[in-house]
Parts: sequence; C-alpha cells; structure tokens
Amino acid sequence: MLRTLGLLYRPEIGAIVGAFLVTCAFSSITDAFLTVDNFITVLTISAELGVVVIGVAFLMISGEFNLSVGALFALAPLTVIALTNQGLDMTLSFIIAILLSALIGYICAVITLKTRIPSFITTLGVMFAIRGILLMVTEGFPLKYRGPPHYLMLTLGGKTPLGFRVSIIWFIILLVIFTIILELTPYGNHVFAVGRDVRVAEALGINAKRIKTINFVLSGILAGLGGCLTLDRLKMVDPLLGTGLELEAIAASVVGGCSLFGGYGSIIGAAIGAIIIAMVRCGLVLVGISAFWYTAFIGGILVIASLINKYVGDWILKRR
Amino acid sequence: MAAISRNIAIVLAIVLLIVGLAIGYGVGSIAVKPTTITVTTTIPGAPTTVTVPTTITVPTTVTVTATPKVEKKWTVYFIPHAGPADPFWACQMRAAEAAASLIAEIDLKFVAPERYGIKEQIELIEAAIAKKPDFLIVTVSDPEAMDPVLRKAIEKGIPVLAVNIEDYRPEEERIPYLGYVGMDERISGEVLAKEALKRFKEIVGRLPKRAVVGIHQPGLICLEMRTDGILKVCKEMGIPCDRLDITMDPTKAMEILKSYLAKHPDTELIFTLGPCGSHPAIKLIKEEGLVGKVYHGCIDLSPKILEAIKEGITLCAISQQPAAQAFYSVIAAYLYLKYGILPPMKIPTGPTVVDKANLEIILKQIETTGGA
Repeated sequence: MLRTLGLLYRPEIGAIVGAFLVTCAFSSITDAFLTVDNFITVLTISAELGVVVIGVAFLMISGEFNLSVGALFALAPLTVIALTNQGLDMTLSFIIAILLSALIGYICAVITLKTRIPSFITTLGVMFAIRGILLMVTEGFPLKYRGPPHYLMLTLGGKTPLGFRVSIIWFIILLVIFTIILELTPYGNHVFAVGRDVRVAEALGINAKRIKTINFVLSGILAGLGGCLTLDRLKMVDPLLGTGLELEAIAASVVGGCSLFGGYGSIIGAAIGAIIIAMVRCGLVLVGISAFWYTAFIGGILVIASLINKYVGDWILKRR
Repeated sequence: MAAISRNIAIVLAIVLLIVGLAIGYGVGSIAVKPTTITVTTTIPGAPTTVTVPTTITVPTTVTVTATPKVEKKWTVYFIPHAGPADPFWACQMRAAEAAASLIAEIDLKFVAPERYGIKEQIELIEAAIAKKPDFLIVTVSDPEAMDPVLRKAIEKGIPVLAVNIEDYRPEEERIPYLGYVGMDERISGEVLAKEALKRFKEIVGRLPKRAVVGIHQPGLICLEMRTDGILKVCKEMGIPCDRLDITMDPTKAMEILKSYLAKHPDTELIFTLGPCGSHPAIKLIKEEGLVGKVYHGCIDLSPKILEAIKEGITLCAISQQPAAQAFYSVIAAYLYLKYGILPPMKIPTGPTVVDKANLEIILKQIETTGGA
C-alpha cells in the first residue's frame, strides 16, 4: 500500500488536488465560475503564462532560476511591433525577437555558469537592465501595432470560431513536447541528474554546463514566445507588460511540484500551477473580492503548496 | 515497472481532476425540482371507502420576505487600469464606494490591477463578463486594445460606461458604450488658456507677449489634445505660443524651460499639463525671481500647485475632479438600471477652474475625497 502511495506521489499530485480544491471553492460561491466564458478566460490567461512557466520549470528542475522572463515577455512583442512598424516583415521581426530572447537567455547562462554567481542574482540584474532599456526606448508609452491583422499574429494568438484563442493550442503542444522531453528522453534524465547533484552528474559524464545553458536559452525563447502570444489580443505592448510575471511563473512551478533546489518536478504540474493562478485571478473577480487580494492569495497558495510538497514528499520517501 | 506505475498515476491524477471538475459543476448546477406527493386515505367505519386523493406540492425554495422588502441587487463592476496604490484611483475607489453605500440595490465590485497594467485590466474585464454583470464601468485606457473585449461585453447585453478616459478615436471607430463620465479633454486646454489669459489681463492690464506650453509626455493623446486647445486660443488672440517637450524628469524640465526663457525673454506665461510639468515650472519661477513677471497656468492639482495659487504664481488650474467621476458613474449606473435613464454621451466633471476665489472648497474636496 505504502509502496503504491510512494509511486503515486508524483510532483503534480499537489497541483491537481489544488486545482480541484480551487475549482470546488469558487464554484460553490459563484455560478459564473463553471461557465464556458470563464473557462475560456482562464485558459487564455494560463496559456500565455503557461508557455513561460514551461521554460521556467524546465530550468528550475536543472537547478537554476530565470527572473528575466517577465522582461523578455515584454521585450519580444515590443521588438516585433517596433520592427514591423519600421516596415520590416512581421515574420522576420518575430524571428529576430525570438533570437534576441534566446541570446539574452544565453547571456544569463554564460554569466551564471562562468562566474558561479547564483542565477537568482544574475537574472535579476538582467531583468532590471531590460526593463530599464524598454522604458527608456519607449519613454514609458505603449507601442501600438499600426498595420493590418497579420497571419502571424492570428497564428500565435488569434481567436478561433469556437471562441477560444490559438494560444491555448500552442500551450498544449509545448506542454506535450516538453513533458515528453523531460520524462522520456535521455536529455530529460540529464536535466534531473544535473538538478539533483551537479558533481554526480558530471562524474557520470553529463555535461552539466551544456544542459543548463540549453535550458536558459529555452526559458528565454519560451518567455519571448509567451509575450508574442499576446500580440493579437492586445495589438500593443506597454513597456511594463509582464511585470511580476517571473514570480508568478516560479510560484506556478513550485505549486506544480518543482523543487526550488532542482532535481525534482514536472512540466504538467507546473502547467496546472499556471492554471491555478489564472483560476484564482478570475475567481476573485467573479466572487467580487477586491483584486488587491490576488497577490495575497497567490502567496498563501505558494506557501501551502511548498509545505505539502515538502512534508508529504518526506513522509513518503521515508516509508519507501 | 516503475515507469508504468508512474504513467498510471498520471492518468489517475488527470481522471481525478476531471471528476473534480464534474462534481464541482454538478454542485453548482443541481436544480431542485418541486416534489409532488399523493396521499391516499381510507376512513374506517364509513359506509363506503372514500379515497381522497390529495396532491401536495412541497415548495423546496422558501422565500423569506422581510420588511422593508429587499429588492434585487444589481452587480456593477468598476474596473479601471490602476488600483488604489495610485492616489488618483484611491480617491476614485473611495468615492465609488461612498456612492454605492447610499444605494441598497447596487452591489459594487471595484476591481483593478495591482499596478498600472492594460493587459491585466483587460483580463479582469474578461473575467467579469463571465459573471454577466448588470453594469460595467471602465476606463478606456487603450482604445485599440480594449475594443474587442468591450464590444464583446456590449454584444452580450452588458451596459458599458466609460470613466476618466474615453475612446478618442473618430466617431465611426469608437466603442459603442453608453456614455463617458470625465473631463472633456478636447476643451480643457481651451478653457485653461482662456481663463489664464483673462486673469493675466486683469493683473497686468494687457495680454502676455509670449506663452509656452510644456508637454511632459509627448504622444499621450490627452496631453496632445490639451496642448492643441491652448495653442488654438493663443493663435486666436494673436499671442505667439510654442510647444515644448519638457520630459518627465523634473530637473530636465526645469533646464529646458530655463533655456527657453533665456532664448525668449518676452515669455510671460507658462502652461503645463500635469503635476509632472507644473512643479518644475513653479520652482523655476520662484528660483529665478520671476514671480510677478512670469505667470503659470496648469491642468490637474497637487498640494504644491494649490500653494502656488495662494502665492499668486499660478493664475488658475483646471481640475477634473476624480471623486466626481467615480460618484457620478455609480449613480448613472443606478439610474439606468432602476429607471431606464440613459446617461448622456458626456457627463463632464471638468474642466473646473480653480483659483484663489474657490481654493477653500477645493481644499475641502481634497480633505474628504483624497484628491481633486
């Protein structure tokens, strides 16, 4: 029985129970929670956040943080709009924006891995730098897209005839791809190994620096892509877009069962974590509790999730 | 083996989630049907057996009618682009709640992003629409970005009222909301220029030789509208007036204005469009000993500007009265819902002119609402 329990203890269990409880709580208070409209809104918000979360969780499992994702979430769509408004083709602008996001992820990796400064600090610095540059370049103004609707915007986040946005499909596709990579490929095993213990992983012949660098770049690309998913919905980017998103992404990952120390976690869990965050945001509005409580709620859920992950995990591991 | 069990665990977990959602949905949507009971009674000793069919309908919903009668509550959502962390919106929130507290039928829900954010505001509106509120009050913080979500709300039959920022686009593109509560930016610049020039003439005995408009955020549509109004009036009066980008940085703003005054020493009137530009202008006039030579007029108030009005540096200021915007919009929602009164296309809360004469009443407004 205990053995079965131990096997059952997957990182995402906490998130699934959490999602269940949040759903029950909100739907018992308001009828509007379990409606198609709300379902679509929750999925739209969680898709944009979720794409970023996938990258953050992947990196976190390999034992590093990337706090610059919120700033990249603004930088990429801003680059797309700025270049397109200058007359460049939007597809090309998009490729440049994603390459730029990848480059910034790479820079974070190089600084962190060469100097051994904690990634928490290096990426915090990069986040401030990008945000500052964005504010300076835009002088604080939102940048508007001036052209006609472009197929790229519609492909990334356009509205489908069923009412939901394409961004949700992207989220699911990326979720499946990264879950397969993490759970079923040797690369995924290496990610876990590097996150658990770098020295042991290196002794086994795994190139830890390479794994971490790739994951930094992936988190950068996914953050940029997440920002671009908002293009069709907003048709403008304000330089403060995605402020605080990095903390929401880490919160979603932790709620989803990722260990803050690396080596443990799941992409599905982190994605459910993103859905929980979106559910709380919408649920509070529906219940009519002032949205200022949102941050406090997320904080509370984060602490509870961390406690559950720690104690339940320890308990099961002891009995194995 | 372990991998198979792990996969089974994932499948189980997903099933659990789906079951959870289903149960949650079930709990939310169980409709209680009235029950019909048939009672058959046999009376002993009677010459015949009489069967009395009695159909009793047991009501499962008990409505308790209290006195005085509690009427239906209308849910009104008030969703601006920033929350009470910004004093301007703290003042609006307080006023909206004050208005709602006077009306029993209104259930006001004031929700806003934690910090300035158009994306977050749109998401809050999307979430609120799912609840199908009876009325929606919003700032049109970015017409293009907000267009789809507000049109969606209107299509769903939710009345929408714009507050503080309206859709400035040409009429055919404008979001078809009911009306707008706030200052008319198209005329605020004109009113400021006319009122300031009138007061200048009263004091000096003639019109100023030259004027300048300091714009702290070029490109921001409401500031550009204010500037256009000022330039139009000055042109009509034959006063040369330049438009100057003074930036948001107060030190830079002072330097830019100072160099302008050095280049054009005949400048006698400085217009600014918000506290960001007004504070440096007032400081410059004081520091350079220009009090009584160069005058100032502005839009929006702050304690420093009120002080300058008292000292005679600022001739007048234009207020948009944020508390009034929130209060009127809640009242407009009530009148619409209760009596079917359509709000006019514009409920102006400004431009109101603040000068030495009405300073006291404005101070009262600041004291009671937290802003003016």
